[in-house]
Amino acid sequence: MQPKHLDTRVVAARRRAVIVAATMLTSIVAFPTLGSTQNAGKPIVIARDMDLNSLDPSRAFCDTCQIYLSSVYDRLVDLSPDNKSIVPMLAKEWTANSDATVLTFKLDPKATFSDGSQVEAKDVKWTFERLKNIKGGMAYLLDNVKSIETPDKETVVIALTAPNSEFVGSLTAPYAGIINSDAVAEHGGEAGPEASSKDNAEQWLLANSAGAGPYVLESYSPNHELRLKRNDNYWGKKPSVEEFVFLQTKDAVSQTQLLENGSADIAMQVDPTTAKAINNENVIVETAPSFNMVYVAVSPGAKNLPHPLDAKIREAIASAIDYDGIIDLTVDGKGKRLPAPIPNGFPGGGIGEPIKHDVEKAKGLMKEAGAADGFTLAATYPNVNQYGVDYTLMMQKIQQDLAEINIKLELQPVEFSVWREKVNGDGIPLTAVFFAPDYYGSSQYAQYFAMMDGTVWYKRAGGKNDPSLANPETPKLLAAALAAQGEKSGELFGKLAGVLANDRIILPIVSPDAVFVSRKGISGLRFSACCNMVLSDIQAK
Amino acid sequence: MSMVLGAKAQGKPKITLRPVLIAGLLIVGFWIVVALTIDVWTVYDPLKLVARKLQPPSFEHWLGTDALGRDVMTRTLYGARYSIAISMIVVVCSVAFGSLVGAMAGFFGGWTDSVLMRLVDITLSFPPVLLAMAVAASLGPGLQNTAIAVIAVWWPVYARLMRGQVLDVISRDHIEAARAGGASSYRLLTKHILPLSWTPTIISATMDFGQVVLLAASLSFIGLGAQPPSPEWGSMISDGAAHFYSWWIAFGPGVAILSLGLGFNFIGDALRDILDPREL
Repeated sequence: MQPKHLDTRVVAARRRAVIVAATMLTSIVAFPTLGSTQNAGKPIVIARDMDLNSLDPSRAFCDTCQIYLSSVYDRLVDLSPDNKSIVPMLAKEWTANSDATVLTFKLDPKATFSDGSQVEAKDVKWTFERLKNIKGGMAYLLDNVKSIETPDKETVVIALTAPNSEFVGSLTAPYAGIINSDAVAEHGGEAGPEASSKDNAEQWLLANSAGAGPYVLESYSPNHELRLKRNDNYWGKKPSVEEFVFLQTKDAVSQTQLLENGSADIAMQVDPTTAKAINNENVIVETAPSFNMVYVAVSPGAKNLPHPLDAKIREAIASAIDYDGIIDLTVDGKGKRLPAPIPNGFPGGGIGEPIKHDVEKAKGLMKEAGAADGFTLAATYPNVNQYGVDYTLMMQKIQQDLAEINIKLELQPVEFSVWREKVNGDGIPLTAVFFAPDYYGSSQYAQYFAMMDGTVWYKRAGGKNDPSLANPETPKLLAAALAAQGEKSGELFGKLAGVLANDRIILPIVSPDAVFVSRKGISGLRFSACCNMVLSDIQAK
Repeated sequence: MSMVLGAKAQGKPKITLRPVLIAGLLIVGFWIVVALTIDVWTVYDPLKLVARKLQPPSFEHWLGTDALGRDVMTRTLYGARYSIAISMIVVVCSVAFGSLVGAMAGFFGGWTDSVLMRLVDITLSFPPVLLAMAVAASLGPGLQNTAIAVIAVWWPVYARLMRGQVLDVISRDHIEAARAGGASSYRLLTKHILPLSWTPTIISATMDFGQVVLLAASLSFIGLGAQPPSPEWGSMISDGAAHFYSWWIAFGPGVAILSLGLGFNFIGDALRDILDPREL
C-alpha cells in the first residue's frame, strides 16, 4: 500500500511539475508575443493642455476641438498639406454657378459613417442647419447661406445670399464636419430653427461620436484624457496609428518631462525657450511657420477710459511697442511679424511693412493728442501660454515699452473665462489675445476683426459706444473681395488688410512658429491651417 | 495657575540672548534693513531689463536674470518689502481683531460668547489655505486683497486664545475686588483683564509671522496675490516654475522665504521659552 501511495504522490508531483513547466514554457513563449502585440498597439500619447469647451461640432470652438473634430468628422472638402488647395473629402466634386452664389456638391457614394451607414445629402443639410440654428461660436461660417436643397441623396445644393469665393474653403473648417443625423437625432439632436433651445445631444456627444472620420471617440474624461481609436469602418485610407490619447498636461515643462521620461510621445505646446533646453537624443524638436497670431487689442469704446483712445493715441501705442524685442523674449525669435491682422500667405496677408518701433514718433503723437503727461490704462489679459507665448511675460514687456510714452499699464492677468466675460462686457482698454484660423481664407479675419457692424471686435472695441469706429468702406471692400476671384480677390483683401492695420485697434505682435516636440520614431507632424494638427497623417515606429 | 501668573510668580521674565534668538533676530533684522534701505544701495532697478533673458548666475548678476532680463538678486531683495509688510499688517490686524472678539466673548459670556465663538468655529472649520484662496478669488487679485484674505483666515486663532485667557483671569480675586469697587466693564477689561491676558497671544503671533509669509507667497504663486511686475517672492517662484530649466529664477525667492520664515520661527521659539516658563 505504502509504495503504491508513494507512487501516486510521485505521479501527482510529476504531473504538477509538468504543469508548472508547461506553464512556464508557455509564459516564456507567450510573453514576448504578448509584449510585442502590446507594443504594436500601444496608443500614441499626446501631452496637451486641452481647452475643450465641447465635443459637439455645432458648439465647440477651440484649438483642441479643431484636432478632435477634424479626426472624427470628415467634412465635404479638405485642405491639402500645402495649406491652400481645397481637395475632395466627402464631396467628390463641386460646381458653382457663374456668380458663385449657388454651389452644388456631389457626395462620394463610398462615404460611410462609423456605424456603417452611408453619408447622405440629408446629413449635410441637417448638420449645416444645426450649426446655424444652435448659434454656437462657429455659426458665422454659414452666415450667408440662404438655403440648402437635397435633390437626391448624393447631391447638396447650397444657395448663398451673396457671392463668396471663400465659401467652399470655409467648409474645410473642422466645425463643418458632417454629423450622422439619424444617430444624433435619436439622442436629442435638433436642427430646426429652435435648435438652440431644443437640441439636447451635446451630452451624448461627450461620450459618443457620430462622424465619418478616420477616428472615433473612445472616451472622454474632462481635465484628464481624451481617447480616440481608429474607425475600423473608415471609408477612406486607414490611418496608421490605432489609438491616440490626449493627456491633460498644463504647462510646457510638464509636457517636456512626460516626453523625456517616455510617458508621452508628442508634446504640443512647448515654447521655444523650453524646447531649447531639451537635451535628450530621443526627443526631436521641429519648428514650422504657422498661421496663428498673437495680438494686442485697443478698445476706444471701453468704459471708464482715463483718456480717449483716439487714432493718434492708438498710433502712438502701436509705434511704442518693441515688437522684435517681444518676439525675442517670448519665442526666442521663432516667429514672424505681420503687417496686418491677416497671416502672411493668406489672401491679402503679408502686404506692406509691419509698423516700426519708433518711440520718438510715439511721443510726438502723444503730445499732439494732448496726452504728453500720459495716463493709466487697465490691461486685463488671459493668463495663458498660447502658441509658446507667455502672456504675462509679453505684457510686462509691453508695460515697459508703453511706460516710455508715459502710458502706465495696470496688468491684470485673469482666467480665460473671466477675460472673455470682461472683454464682452464693459470692454478692456488694452488687452492681448490670440487667433488661429479655421480654414484658408481671409474673410474670417474681416468677419472677426473689422470695424463694422456684426464683427466680434467691433463689439469688443466698443463700437456701440463709439460708432465713429465703424469704417463704411470696410463692408463694401469685403463684399467686393468675396465676389472677386483669384488675383483680383487677393488684391482687394490686401486693401482690406490695410484698412484693418490702419485702424490700430488690432495690433499683431507675432505669428509664432509651431513647435513640434516628439519622441524619435514619430513622423507626419505638420501644422494645418484648418485643423491644427492632422492625426491621420501621423505615423509611429 | 495661568501661564501669565506663572511668569509673574517668578518675577519679570529674564531675556537672555540664546543662540536661536540671536540667529532669528539677525535673519529678520537683515531682511528688515534690506527692505528699508535697498533704494539707497541697489545696483539695478527691479523692474527694468538689465541684461539678456535667462542668464545663469554670474559676477554681474549673482542670481542670474529672469525670463524678461531683470536681475533676480535685486528682485529678491526688493521682495522683502512685500513679505515683511504683508506679514506685519496681517498679524497686527488679526491680533487686534481676534483679541477684541475673544475678549468680548470671554468677558460678556452668555449669548455674546455663543454667537462670537460659533463664528470662530465656522471660520476654523474651513481649511485655511482654501478659505484664503476663496476670499482672495472673490475680492480679486492684489496685495491688499491678499492681506484681507489672510486676515480672514488668521483672526479666529487669536480670538480663541484671548477668550481662554480672559475666562481664566476674570475669576480671580482682584478682578472681583475691582468689580465690587464699582469699576466699569470698560475699565475692568482694559485695566485689569487684558494686561494679564496678552502673553500667549504675543507668543502665538510671533510664531505666526513665518506662516503668514508662506501663505501670502502661496496666494501670489497661484496668481491671487501680487500682480506683475511686482517682485513678490511667491510670484517670482511661479515665474521660476514656468522656466523650470532656469533654476536660479526660483532659487533666490525660495531661499528668501525659507530664511525669513525660519527667522520668525526662531524668534517665536525663543520668546515662548522666555515668556512661558512651563515649557522650560
